[in-house]
Amino acid sequence: MGAHPDGIALEARDLRKAFGGVRAVDGCSFAVPRGKISGLIGPNGSGKTTTFNLLTGLAAPDGGEVLYRGENLAGLKPYQIFRRGVTRTFQVTRIFREMTVLENMLSVTGLDVPDRVARARAEELIAFVNLTHLRAEYGGRLSYGQQKLLEFARALMTDPDLILLDEPAAGVNRTLLQHLLDHIHRLQGQGKTIVIVEHDMNVIMNHCERIFVMDGGVKIAEGPPAEIQRDERVLEAYFGRRR
Amino acid sequence: MTRVEHLRNLALLGACAVALAILPHALTVYLRSFVLFTMMYVVLALSWNIISGFTGYTSFGHVAFYGIGAYACAILVADYRWHWLPTLGVGAVLAAVVGVAIGYPVLRLKGPYFAIAMLGAAEGTRVVATVWDGLTHGGLGISLPSAETSLETYYAMLVLMLLTVVVAYGVGHSRFGVRLNAIREDEVAAEALGINATLYKLTAFTLSAVFPAVAGGIQAYKVLYIDPPSVFFVQITIAMALMSMLGGKGTVIGPIVGAILLYTAQELTWVNFPTAHLIAYGLFIVLVARFMPRGLMGFAIDRGWVRKGMVH
Repeated sequence: MGAHPDGIALEARDLRKAFGGVRAVDGCSFAVPRGKISGLIGPNGSGKTTTFNLLTGLAAPDGGEVLYRGENLAGLKPYQIFRRGVTRTFQVTRIFREMTVLENMLSVTGLDVPDRVARARAEELIAFVNLTHLRAEYGGRLSYGQQKLLEFARALMTDPDLILLDEPAAGVNRTLLQHLLDHIHRLQGQGKTIVIVEHDMNVIMNHCERIFVMDGGVKIAEGPPAEIQRDERVLEAYFGRRR
Repeated sequence: MTRVEHLRNLALLGACAVALAILPHALTVYLRSFVLFTMMYVVLALSWNIISGFTGYTSFGHVAFYGIGAYACAILVADYRWHWLPTLGVGAVLAAVVGVAIGYPVLRLKGPYFAIAMLGAAEGTRVVATVWDGLTHGGLGISLPSAETSLETYYAMLVLMLLTVVVAYGVGHSRFGVRLNAIREDEVAAEALGINATLYKLTAFTLSAVFPAVAGGIQAYKVLYIDPPSVFFVQITIAMALMSMLGGKGTVIGPIVGAILLYTAQELTWVNFPTAHLIAYGLFIVLVARFMPRGLMGFAIDRGWVRKGMVH
Protein backbone atom coordinates (compact mmCIF):
# COMPACT_ATOMS: atom_id res chain seq x y z
CA MET A 1 0.00 0.00 0.00
CA GLY A 2 1.66 3.20 -1.11
CA ALA A 3 0.90 6.86 -0.54
CA HIS A 4 -0.27 8.65 -3.63
CA PRO A 5 1.83 11.18 -5.40
CA ASP A 6 -0.05 14.44 -5.64
CA GLY A 7 -2.21 14.73 -8.66
CA ILE A 8 -3.52 11.17 -8.55
CA ALA A 9 -7.03 10.64 -7.20
CA LEU A 10 -7.22 6.87 -7.60
CA GLU A 11 -4.89 4.24 -8.89
CA ALA A 12 -5.75 0.75 -10.12
CA ARG A 13 -2.85 -1.69 -10.07
CA ASP A 14 -2.98 -4.96 -11.94
CA LEU A 15 -6.73 -5.45 -11.44
CA ARG A 16 -8.01 -8.90 -12.31
CA LYS A 17 -11.49 -10.38 -12.50
CA ALA A 18 -12.63 -13.55 -14.21
CA PHE A 19 -16.17 -14.83 -14.63
CA GLY A 20 -15.74 -18.56 -15.12
CA GLY A 21 -13.35 -18.81 -18.04
CA VAL A 22 -13.87 -15.24 -19.21
CA ARG A 23 -11.14 -12.92 -18.01
CA ALA A 24 -13.16 -9.70 -18.05
CA VAL A 25 -10.40 -7.63 -16.50
CA ASP A 26 -6.96 -9.09 -16.93
CA GLY A 27 -4.23 -7.09 -15.27
CA CYS A 28 -5.50 -3.56 -15.78
CA SER A 29 -3.57 -0.61 -14.34
CA PHE A 30 -4.21 3.10 -14.59
CA ALA A 31 -3.98 6.27 -12.53
CA VAL A 32 -6.87 8.74 -12.51
CA PRO A 33 -5.66 12.37 -12.38
CA ARG A 34 -7.15 14.41 -9.54
CA GLY A 35 -9.55 17.23 -10.31
CA LYS A 36 -9.93 16.30 -13.96
CA ILE A 37 -12.49 14.65 -16.20
CA SER A 38 -11.16 11.36 -17.53
CA GLY A 39 -12.71 8.97 -20.00
CA LEU A 40 -12.63 5.20 -20.05
CA ILE A 41 -13.39 3.80 -23.49
CA GLY A 42 -13.12 0.56 -25.35
CA PRO A 43 -15.18 -1.73 -27.58
CA ASN A 44 -18.13 -3.67 -26.14
CA GLY A 45 -16.95 -6.36 -23.75
CA SER A 46 -13.57 -4.76 -23.17
CA GLY A 47 -14.10 -4.69 -19.40
CA LYS A 48 -15.07 -1.08 -18.70
CA THR A 49 -18.15 -1.71 -16.58
CA THR A 50 -16.43 -4.59 -14.79
CA THR A 51 -13.60 -2.21 -13.99
CA PHE A 52 -16.12 0.26 -12.54
CA ASN A 53 -17.63 -2.59 -10.52
CA LEU A 54 -14.21 -3.49 -9.16
CA LEU A 55 -13.49 0.12 -8.21
CA THR A 56 -16.81 0.50 -6.39
CA GLY A 57 -16.95 -2.92 -4.71
CA LEU A 58 -19.88 -4.31 -6.68
CA ALA A 59 -17.54 -7.10 -7.69
CA ALA A 60 -14.54 -8.22 -5.65
CA PRO A 61 -11.33 -8.35 -7.67
CA ASP A 62 -9.52 -11.70 -7.98
CA GLY A 63 -6.27 -9.79 -7.74
CA GLY A 64 -4.77 -6.32 -7.77
CA GLU A 65 -5.21 -3.15 -5.79
CA VAL A 66 -7.35 -0.03 -5.90
CA LEU A 67 -5.45 2.72 -4.14
CA TYR A 68 -7.41 5.68 -2.89
CA ARG A 69 -6.11 8.13 -0.31
CA GLY A 70 -3.39 5.72 0.67
CA GLU A 71 -5.80 2.86 1.26
CA ASN A 72 -6.50 -0.28 -0.75
CA LEU A 73 -10.23 -0.37 -1.57
CA ALA A 74 -10.09 -3.83 -3.14
CA GLY A 75 -12.32 -6.23 -1.25
CA LEU A 76 -14.28 -3.56 0.61
CA LYS A 77 -18.07 -3.64 0.38
CA PRO A 78 -19.84 -1.12 -1.89
CA TYR A 79 -21.24 0.87 1.04
CA GLN A 80 -17.79 1.12 2.62
CA ILE A 81 -16.24 2.46 -0.58
CA PHE A 82 -19.12 4.88 -1.04
CA ARG A 83 -18.61 6.25 2.46
CA ARG A 84 -14.98 6.95 1.59
CA GLY A 85 -16.08 9.39 -1.07
CA VAL A 86 -16.28 7.31 -4.26
CA THR A 87 -19.66 7.31 -5.95
CA ARG A 88 -21.08 6.05 -9.24
CA THR A 89 -24.04 5.91 -11.57
CA PHE A 90 -25.12 2.91 -13.62
CA GLN A 91 -25.23 2.14 -17.31
CA VAL A 92 -28.94 1.40 -17.06
CA THR A 93 -30.30 3.75 -14.40
CA ARG A 94 -31.00 2.23 -11.02
CA ILE A 95 -33.26 4.76 -9.42
CA PHE A 96 -35.76 3.58 -6.81
CA ARG A 97 -38.95 3.38 -8.87
CA GLU A 98 -41.62 3.32 -6.18
CA MET A 99 -40.05 6.05 -4.14
CA THR A 100 -40.43 9.74 -4.79
CA VAL A 101 -37.63 11.88 -6.16
CA LEU A 102 -37.05 13.34 -2.70
CA GLU A 103 -37.03 9.88 -1.11
CA ASN A 104 -34.50 8.70 -3.67
CA MET A 105 -32.25 11.50 -2.52
CA LEU A 106 -32.79 10.94 1.21
CA SER A 107 -32.03 7.22 1.02
CA VAL A 108 -28.32 7.95 0.61
CA THR A 109 -26.28 7.08 3.69
CA GLY A 110 -22.95 8.23 4.99
CA LEU A 111 -24.14 11.69 5.65
CA ASP A 112 -23.91 12.32 9.37
CA VAL A 113 -26.13 15.36 9.39
CA PRO A 114 -29.49 16.07 10.96
CA ASP A 115 -32.62 15.40 8.93
CA ARG A 116 -33.16 19.10 8.27
CA VAL A 117 -29.70 19.52 6.70
CA ALA A 118 -30.08 16.38 4.57
CA ARG A 119 -33.42 17.63 3.27
CA ALA A 120 -32.01 21.03 2.42
CA ARG A 121 -29.15 19.40 0.53
CA ALA A 122 -31.57 17.07 -1.29
CA GLU A 123 -33.78 19.95 -2.37
CA GLU A 124 -30.75 21.92 -3.50
CA LEU A 125 -29.50 19.07 -5.68
CA ILE A 126 -32.98 18.39 -7.06
CA ALA A 127 -33.04 22.03 -8.11
CA PHE A 128 -29.49 21.65 -9.52
CA VAL A 129 -30.79 19.09 -12.04
CA ASN A 130 -34.07 20.95 -12.60
CA LEU A 131 -36.38 18.34 -11.12
CA THR A 132 -37.98 20.49 -8.44
CA HIS A 133 -41.41 20.29 -10.09
CA LEU A 134 -41.19 16.46 -9.86
CA ARG A 135 -39.84 16.17 -6.31
CA ALA A 136 -42.99 14.41 -5.04
CA GLU A 137 -43.37 12.13 -8.07
CA TYR A 138 -42.35 8.47 -8.11
CA GLY A 139 -38.97 7.80 -9.69
CA GLY A 140 -40.53 5.25 -12.02
CA ARG A 141 -42.83 7.89 -13.52
CA LEU A 142 -39.92 10.03 -14.71
CA SER A 143 -38.71 9.94 -18.32
CA TYR A 144 -35.49 8.06 -18.89
CA GLY A 145 -33.49 11.24 -19.22
CA GLN A 146 -34.98 12.60 -16.00
CA GLN A 147 -34.11 9.33 -14.29
CA LYS A 148 -30.50 9.80 -15.40
CA LEU A 149 -30.51 13.28 -13.89
CA LEU A 150 -32.02 11.95 -10.68
CA GLU A 151 -29.42 9.22 -10.44
CA PHE A 152 -26.70 11.77 -11.06
CA ALA A 153 -28.04 14.12 -8.39
CA ARG A 154 -28.44 11.22 -5.96
CA ALA A 155 -24.80 10.27 -6.43
CA LEU A 156 -23.85 13.77 -5.29
CA MET A 157 -25.72 13.74 -1.96
CA THR A 158 -22.62 13.08 0.12
CA ASP A 159 -20.45 15.56 -1.75
CA PRO A 160 -18.12 12.81 -3.06
CA ASP A 161 -14.60 13.45 -4.31
CA LEU A 162 -14.55 10.88 -7.06
CA ILE A 163 -17.52 10.39 -9.36
CA LEU A 164 -17.72 7.45 -11.78
CA LEU A 165 -20.33 7.83 -14.50
CA ASP A 166 -21.25 4.74 -16.54
CA GLU A 167 -22.56 5.89 -19.93
CA PRO A 168 -24.22 9.13 -18.85
CA ALA A 169 -25.11 10.00 -22.46
CA ALA A 170 -26.87 6.74 -23.37
CA GLY A 171 -30.55 7.31 -24.07
CA VAL A 172 -30.38 11.00 -23.26
CA ASN A 173 -31.42 13.62 -25.81
CA ARG A 174 -29.01 16.33 -26.93
CA THR A 175 -30.45 19.15 -24.83
CA LEU A 176 -30.45 17.08 -21.69
CA LEU A 177 -26.98 15.78 -22.46
CA GLN A 178 -25.64 19.31 -22.78
CA HIS A 179 -27.25 20.02 -19.45
CA LEU A 180 -25.61 17.01 -17.86
CA LEU A 181 -22.22 17.93 -19.29
CA ASP A 182 -22.55 21.44 -17.90
CA HIS A 183 -23.17 19.90 -14.49
CA ILE A 184 -20.14 17.67 -14.86
CA HIS A 185 -17.93 20.64 -15.72
CA ARG A 186 -19.31 22.58 -12.79
CA LEU A 187 -18.38 19.71 -10.48
CA GLN A 188 -14.90 19.63 -11.94
CA GLY A 189 -14.73 23.37 -11.25
CA GLN A 190 -15.35 22.51 -7.59
CA GLY A 191 -12.31 20.26 -7.60
CA LYS A 192 -14.04 16.90 -8.10
CA THR A 193 -12.50 14.05 -10.04
CA ILE A 194 -14.74 12.50 -12.67
CA VAL A 195 -14.36 9.34 -14.73
CA ILE A 196 -16.76 8.69 -17.60
CA VAL A 197 -17.36 5.41 -19.41
CA GLU A 198 -18.96 6.36 -22.69
CA HIS A 199 -19.53 5.18 -26.24
CA ASP A 200 -20.38 8.64 -27.51
CA MET A 201 -17.02 9.77 -28.89
CA ASN A 202 -18.08 13.42 -29.06
CA VAL A 203 -18.56 13.41 -25.31
CA ILE A 204 -15.24 11.68 -24.70
CA MET A 205 -13.13 13.69 -27.14
CA ASN A 206 -14.59 17.09 -26.29
CA HIS A 207 -14.89 16.83 -22.54
CA CYS A 208 -12.19 14.53 -21.19
CA GLU A 209 -8.67 15.66 -20.52
CA ARG A 210 -7.28 12.19 -20.26
CA ILE A 211 -8.51 9.00 -21.89
CA PHE A 212 -7.86 5.39 -20.98
CA VAL A 213 -8.56 2.79 -23.63
CA MET A 214 -9.34 -0.79 -22.69
CA ASP A 215 -9.47 -3.85 -24.87
CA GLY A 216 -9.61 -7.48 -23.80
CA GLY A 217 -9.51 -6.55 -20.13
CA VAL A 218 -6.31 -4.52 -20.23
CA LYS A 219 -5.45 -0.88 -20.79
CA ILE A 220 -4.01 -0.60 -24.29
CA ALA A 221 -3.53 3.15 -24.49
CA GLU A 222 -3.67 6.31 -22.43
CA GLY A 223 -3.34 9.98 -23.26
CA PRO A 224 -5.06 13.22 -24.18
CA PRO A 225 -7.85 13.03 -26.80
CA ALA A 226 -5.75 14.23 -29.75
CA GLU A 227 -3.20 11.51 -29.14
CA ILE A 228 -5.77 8.77 -28.64
CA GLN A 229 -7.51 9.61 -31.90
CA ARG A 230 -4.29 8.87 -33.79
CA ASP A 231 -3.23 5.84 -31.78
CA GLU A 232 -2.83 2.76 -33.98
CA ARG A 233 -3.68 0.32 -31.18
CA VAL A 234 -6.91 2.15 -30.45
CA LEU A 235 -7.98 2.23 -34.08
CA GLU A 236 -7.16 -1.45 -34.32
CA ALA A 237 -9.22 -2.29 -31.24
CA TYR A 238 -12.23 -0.48 -32.65
CA PHE A 239 -11.95 -1.19 -36.37
CA GLY A 240 -9.71 -4.24 -36.66
CA ARG A 241 -6.21 -4.58 -38.08
CA ARG A 242 -5.36 -2.57 -41.18
CA ARG A 243 -4.55 -4.78 -44.16
CA MET B 1 -44.72 15.59 6.52
CA THR B 2 -44.74 18.73 8.59
CA ARG B 3 -44.48 18.92 12.35
CA VAL B 4 -48.13 19.98 12.49
CA GLU B 5 -49.20 16.87 10.60
CA HIS B 6 -47.16 14.62 12.88
CA LEU B 7 -48.79 16.26 15.91
CA ARG B 8 -52.22 15.86 14.33
CA ASN B 9 -51.57 12.14 13.75
CA LEU B 10 -50.32 11.77 17.30
CA ALA B 11 -53.47 13.45 18.59
CA LEU B 12 -55.56 11.11 16.43
CA LEU B 13 -53.77 8.11 17.88
CA GLY B 14 -54.29 9.50 21.39
CA ALA B 15 -58.01 9.86 20.74
CA CYS B 16 -58.19 6.26 19.49
CA ALA B 17 -56.30 5.14 22.59
CA VAL B 18 -58.73 6.88 24.91
CA ALA B 19 -61.73 5.49 23.03
CA LEU B 20 -60.32 1.96 23.09
CA ALA B 21 -59.50 2.31 26.78
CA ILE B 22 -63.09 3.21 27.65
CA LEU B 23 -64.69 0.79 25.17
CA PRO B 24 -64.42 -2.58 26.98
CA HIS B 25 -66.62 -1.38 29.80
CA ALA B 26 -69.43 -0.95 27.32
CA LEU B 27 -68.93 -4.27 25.56
CA THR B 28 -70.06 -7.83 26.05
CA VAL B 29 -67.36 -10.38 26.79
CA TYR B 30 -67.59 -11.63 23.19
CA LEU B 31 -67.18 -8.18 21.66
CA ARG B 32 -64.37 -7.33 24.07
CA SER B 33 -62.49 -10.33 22.86
CA PHE B 34 -63.29 -9.45 19.26
CA VAL B 35 -61.71 -6.02 19.71
CA LEU B 36 -58.72 -7.61 21.46
CA PHE B 37 -58.06 -9.95 18.55
CA THR B 38 -58.55 -7.15 16.05
CA MET B 39 -55.85 -5.19 17.89
CA MET B 40 -53.67 -8.29 17.86
CA TYR B 41 -53.94 -8.58 14.10
CA VAL B 42 -53.10 -4.89 13.76
CA VAL B 43 -49.89 -5.65 15.69
CA LEU B 44 -49.11 -8.70 13.56
CA ALA B 45 -49.79 -7.01 10.22
CA LEU B 46 -47.83 -3.88 11.12
CA SER B 47 -44.86 -5.94 12.29
CA TRP B 48 -44.86 -8.14 9.20
CA ASN B 49 -45.01 -4.97 7.13
CA ILE B 50 -41.69 -3.69 8.54
CA ILE B 51 -39.65 -6.46 6.93
CA SER B 52 -42.01 -7.44 4.12
CA GLY B 53 -43.64 -4.13 3.19
CA PHE B 54 -40.99 -1.53 3.90
CA THR B 55 -38.01 -3.75 3.11
CA GLY B 56 -39.52 -6.03 0.46
CA TYR B 57 -38.58 -9.37 2.05
CA THR B 58 -41.87 -11.25 2.02
CA SER B 59 -41.90 -13.54 5.05
CA PHE B 60 -44.09 -16.63 5.10
CA GLY B 61 -42.85 -17.65 8.51
CA HIS B 62 -43.57 -14.83 10.89
CA VAL B 63 -45.85 -16.98 12.97
CA ALA B 64 -42.65 -18.49 14.40
CA PHE B 65 -42.12 -15.41 16.54
CA TYR B 66 -45.74 -15.34 17.64
CA GLY B 67 -45.43 -18.98 18.70
CA ILE B 68 -42.18 -18.36 20.53
CA GLY B 69 -43.79 -15.56 22.53
CA ALA B 70 -46.81 -17.73 23.30
CA TYR B 71 -44.61 -20.57 24.55
CA ALA B 72 -42.41 -18.26 26.63
CA CYS B 73 -45.49 -17.02 28.44
CA ALA B 74 -47.17 -20.43 28.82
CA ILE B 75 -44.06 -22.23 30.11
CA LEU B 76 -43.04 -19.54 32.56
CA VAL B 77 -46.56 -19.08 33.92
CA ALA B 78 -47.59 -22.74 34.05
CA ASP B 79 -44.32 -24.40 35.07
CA TYR B 80 -42.41 -21.68 36.86
CA ARG B 81 -45.27 -19.74 38.39
CA TRP B 82 -44.20 -16.38 36.98
CA HIS B 83 -46.56 -13.47 36.81
CA TRP B 84 -47.64 -13.31 33.17
CA LEU B 85 -46.54 -9.72 32.43
CA PRO B 86 -42.76 -10.18 32.70
CA THR B 87 -42.98 -13.29 30.51
CA LEU B 88 -43.89 -10.97 27.62
CA GLY B 89 -40.47 -9.37 27.94
CA VAL B 90 -38.80 -12.78 27.93
CA GLY B 91 -40.73 -13.69 24.78
CA ALA B 92 -39.65 -10.45 23.12
CA VAL B 93 -35.98 -11.00 23.92
CA LEU B 94 -36.16 -14.63 22.82
CA ALA B 95 -37.81 -13.64 19.54
CA ALA B 96 -35.11 -11.02 18.96
CA VAL B 97 -32.36 -13.60 19.54
CA VAL B 98 -34.04 -16.17 17.29
CA GLY B 99 -34.75 -13.39 14.80
CA VAL B 100 -31.08 -12.54 14.50
CA ALA B 101 -30.12 -16.23 14.33
CA ILE B 102 -32.63 -16.96 11.56
CA GLY B 103 -32.36 -13.61 9.84
CA TYR B 104 -28.61 -13.50 9.45
CA PRO B 105 -28.42 -16.50 7.10
CA VAL B 106 -31.90 -16.34 5.59
CA LEU B 107 -31.86 -12.64 4.67
CA ARG B 108 -29.14 -13.46 2.15
CA LEU B 109 -31.87 -15.07 0.07
CA LYS B 110 -34.19 -13.00 -2.03
CA GLY B 111 -37.79 -13.10 -3.27
CA PRO B 112 -39.43 -16.53 -3.30
CA TYR B 113 -36.32 -18.19 -1.84
CA PHE B 114 -36.54 -16.01 1.25
CA ALA B 115 -40.29 -16.62 1.52
CA ILE B 116 -39.85 -20.39 1.34
CA ALA B 117 -36.91 -20.42 3.74
CA MET B 118 -39.03 -18.53 6.26
CA LEU B 119 -41.87 -20.99 5.80
CA GLY B 120 -39.35 -23.73 6.56
CA ALA B 121 -37.98 -21.87 9.57
CA ALA B 122 -41.49 -21.53 11.04
CA GLU B 123 -42.26 -25.19 10.45
CA GLY B 124 -38.93 -26.00 12.08
CA THR B 125 -39.83 -24.03 15.19
CA ARG B 126 -43.16 -25.83 15.34
CA VAL B 127 -41.41 -29.20 15.14
CA VAL B 128 -39.00 -28.18 17.91
CA ALA B 129 -41.95 -27.14 20.08
CA THR B 130 -43.61 -30.49 19.36
CA VAL B 131 -40.66 -32.77 20.08
CA TRP B 132 -39.00 -30.93 22.96
CA ASP B 133 -41.33 -32.58 25.48
CA GLY B 134 -39.29 -31.69 28.53
CA LEU B 135 -39.70 -27.99 27.95
CA THR B 136 -42.91 -27.58 25.99
CA HIS B 137 -44.93 -30.67 26.98
CA GLY B 138 -44.93 -31.53 23.26
CA GLY B 139 -48.18 -32.23 21.49
CA LEU B 140 -50.14 -32.19 24.74
CA GLY B 141 -49.87 -28.46 24.87
CA ILE B 142 -49.90 -26.31 27.99
CA SER B 143 -52.84 -25.24 30.10
CA LEU B 144 -52.31 -22.03 31.98
CA PRO B 145 -53.64 -21.59 35.50
CA SER B 146 -56.62 -19.34 35.19
CA ALA B 147 -56.42 -16.02 36.90
CA GLU B 148 -57.46 -13.98 33.99
CA THR B 149 -59.86 -11.17 33.84
CA SER B 150 -60.38 -10.35 30.20
CA LEU B 151 -59.64 -6.71 31.01
CA GLU B 152 -55.97 -7.35 31.82
CA THR B 153 -55.18 -8.93 28.48
CA TYR B 154 -57.29 -6.34 26.70
CA TYR B 155 -55.27 -3.47 28.11
CA ALA B 156 -51.99 -5.27 27.51
CA MET B 157 -52.92 -5.71 23.86
CA LEU B 158 -53.99 -2.09 23.63
CA VAL B 159 -50.65 -0.89 24.97
CA LEU B 160 -48.77 -3.24 22.64
CA MET B 161 -50.79 -2.04 19.67
CA LEU B 162 -50.12 1.62 20.47
CA LEU B 163 -46.41 0.86 20.81
CA THR B 164 -46.34 -1.00 17.51
CA VAL B 165 -48.18 1.80 15.73
CA VAL B 166 -45.75 4.38 17.11
CA VAL B 167 -42.71 2.32 16.10
CA ALA B 168 -44.08 1.53 12.62
CA TYR B 169 -44.96 5.19 12.16
CA GLY B 170 -41.51 6.26 13.31
CA VAL B 171 -39.80 3.80 10.97
CA GLY B 172 -42.06 4.68 8.06
CA HIS B 173 -41.48 8.40 8.28
CA SER B 174 -37.74 8.36 8.94
CA ARG B 175 -34.64 8.15 6.78
CA PHE B 176 -34.21 4.67 8.25
CA GLY B 177 -37.51 3.71 6.62
CA VAL B 178 -36.54 5.37 3.35
CA ARG B 179 -33.39 3.22 3.31
CA LEU B 180 -35.42 0.08 3.92
CA ASN B 181 -37.53 1.13 0.90
CA ALA B 182 -34.33 1.60 -1.11
CA ILE B 183 -33.30 -1.98 -0.28
CA ARG B 184 -36.74 -3.15 -1.43
CA GLU B 185 -36.47 -1.25 -4.70
CA ASP B 186 -32.89 -2.17 -5.66
CA GLU B 187 -30.53 -3.67 -3.13
CA VAL B 188 -27.43 -3.32 -5.32
CA ALA B 189 -28.05 0.37 -5.89
CA ALA B 190 -28.80 0.82 -2.18
CA GLU B 191 -25.43 -0.68 -1.26
CA ALA B 192 -23.74 1.52 -3.83
CA LEU B 193 -25.29 4.52 -2.07
CA GLY B 194 -23.75 3.71 1.27
CA ILE B 195 -26.49 1.57 2.80
CA ASN B 196 -25.19 -1.38 4.81
CA ALA B 197 -28.00 -3.61 3.59
CA THR B 198 -27.15 -6.57 5.84
CA LEU B 199 -27.37 -4.44 8.97
CA TYR B 200 -30.54 -2.61 7.88
CA LYS B 201 -32.32 -5.81 6.90
CA LEU B 202 -31.38 -7.54 10.13
CA THR B 203 -32.56 -4.57 12.18
CA ALA B 204 -35.89 -4.46 10.33
CA PHE B 205 -36.31 -8.23 10.64
CA THR B 206 -35.59 -8.26 14.37
CA LEU B 207 -37.93 -5.33 14.95
CA SER B 208 -40.65 -7.18 13.04
CA ALA B 209 -40.07 -10.29 15.18
CA VAL B 210 -40.39 -8.69 18.61
CA PHE B 211 -43.97 -7.37 18.55
CA PRO B 212 -45.59 -10.61 17.32
CA ALA B 213 -43.85 -12.44 20.18
CA VAL B 214 -45.43 -10.13 22.74
CA ALA B 215 -48.78 -10.53 21.00
CA GLY B 216 -48.36 -14.31 21.16
CA GLY B 217 -47.69 -14.11 24.89
CA ILE B 218 -50.78 -12.02 25.55
CA GLN B 219 -52.86 -14.34 23.41
CA ALA B 220 -51.61 -17.38 25.34
CA TYR B 221 -52.69 -15.80 28.61
CA LYS B 222 -55.98 -14.80 27.05
CA VAL B 223 -57.00 -18.24 25.77
CA LEU B 224 -55.23 -20.19 28.56
CA TYR B 225 -54.33 -23.18 26.43
CA ILE B 226 -51.76 -23.49 23.68
CA ASP B 227 -50.31 -26.32 21.63
CA PRO B 228 -47.93 -26.33 18.66
CA PRO B 229 -50.54 -26.50 15.87
CA SER B 230 -52.52 -23.56 17.26
CA VAL B 231 -49.69 -21.07 17.86
CA PHE B 232 -47.50 -22.07 14.90
CA PHE B 233 -50.51 -22.07 12.60
CA VAL B 234 -49.41 -21.09 9.09
CA GLN B 235 -52.72 -19.34 8.52
CA ILE B 236 -51.64 -16.67 11.02
CA THR B 237 -48.69 -15.78 8.78
CA ILE B 238 -50.96 -15.71 5.76
CA ALA B 239 -53.35 -13.42 7.61
CA MET B 240 -50.49 -10.98 8.38
CA ALA B 241 -49.51 -10.93 4.70
CA LEU B 242 -53.06 -10.61 3.39
CA MET B 243 -54.02 -7.85 5.79
CA SER B 244 -50.96 -5.82 4.81
CA MET B 245 -51.54 -6.44 1.12
CA LEU B 246 -55.21 -5.54 1.30
CA GLY B 247 -54.55 -2.28 3.11
CA GLY B 248 -51.36 -1.54 1.22
CA LYS B 249 -48.01 -2.89 2.27
CA GLY B 250 -45.17 -0.45 2.68
CA THR B 251 -47.48 2.10 4.29
CA VAL B 252 -48.38 2.58 7.97
CA ILE B 253 -52.13 3.00 7.60
CA GLY B 254 -52.51 0.12 5.14
CA PRO B 255 -51.85 -2.83 7.47
CA ILE B 256 -54.00 -1.24 10.19
CA VAL B 257 -56.97 -0.84 7.86
CA GLY B 258 -56.35 -4.25 6.29
CA ALA B 259 -56.26 -5.98 9.68
CA ILE B 260 -59.49 -4.36 10.85
CA LEU B 261 -61.35 -5.11 7.60
CA LEU B 262 -60.12 -8.64 7.12
CA TYR B 263 -60.47 -9.75 10.72
CA THR B 264 -63.98 -8.34 10.86
CA ALA B 265 -64.88 -10.05 7.59
CA GLN B 266 -63.36 -13.30 8.81
CA GLU B 267 -65.26 -13.15 12.07
CA LEU B 268 -68.57 -12.47 10.32
CA THR B 269 -68.19 -15.24 7.75
CA TRP B 270 -66.82 -17.68 10.30
CA VAL B 271 -69.79 -17.20 12.58
CA ASN B 272 -72.31 -17.79 9.79
CA PHE B 273 -70.47 -20.19 7.48
CA PRO B 274 -67.86 -22.15 9.44
CA THR B 275 -65.75 -23.25 6.49
CA ALA B 276 -66.70 -20.62 3.94
CA HIS B 277 -64.27 -18.07 5.31
CA LEU B 278 -61.34 -19.95 3.78
CA ILE B 279 -62.94 -19.85 0.35
CA ALA B 280 -63.67 -16.17 0.86
CA TYR B 281 -60.02 -15.68 1.86
CA GLY B 282 -58.79 -17.32 -1.34
CA LEU B 283 -61.15 -15.33 -3.51
CA PHE B 284 -60.09 -12.20 -1.74
CA ILE B 285 -56.39 -12.80 -2.44
CA VAL B 286 -57.12 -13.24 -6.13
CA LEU B 287 -59.25 -10.11 -6.34
CA VAL B 288 -56.79 -7.92 -4.44
CA ALA B 289 -53.84 -9.14 -6.49
CA ARG B 290 -55.75 -8.59 -9.73
CA PHE B 291 -57.44 -5.25 -9.12
CA MET B 292 -55.49 -3.58 -6.32
CA PRO B 293 -51.95 -4.92 -6.44
CA ARG B 294 -50.81 -2.15 -4.13
CA GLY B 295 -53.77 -2.41 -1.81
CA LEU B 296 -56.29 0.20 -0.71
CA MET B 297 -53.57 2.73 0.04
CA GLY B 298 -51.99 2.22 -3.38
CA PHE B 299 -55.43 2.67 -4.91
CA ALA B 300 -55.89 5.92 -2.99
CA ILE B 301 -52.38 7.16 -3.83
CA ASP B 302 -52.88 6.50 -7.54
CA ARG B 303 -56.03 8.62 -7.47
CA GLY B 304 -54.33 11.45 -5.67
CA TRP B 305 -56.37 11.07 -2.47
CA VAL B 306 -53.24 10.31 -0.48
CA ARG B 307 -49.84 11.90 -0.98
CA LYS B 308 -47.04 9.87 -2.52
CA GLY B 309 -44.00 9.26 -0.40
CA MET B 310 -43.72 8.77 3.34
CA VAL B 311 -41.34 11.60 4.16
CA HIS B 312 -42.94 14.46 2.26
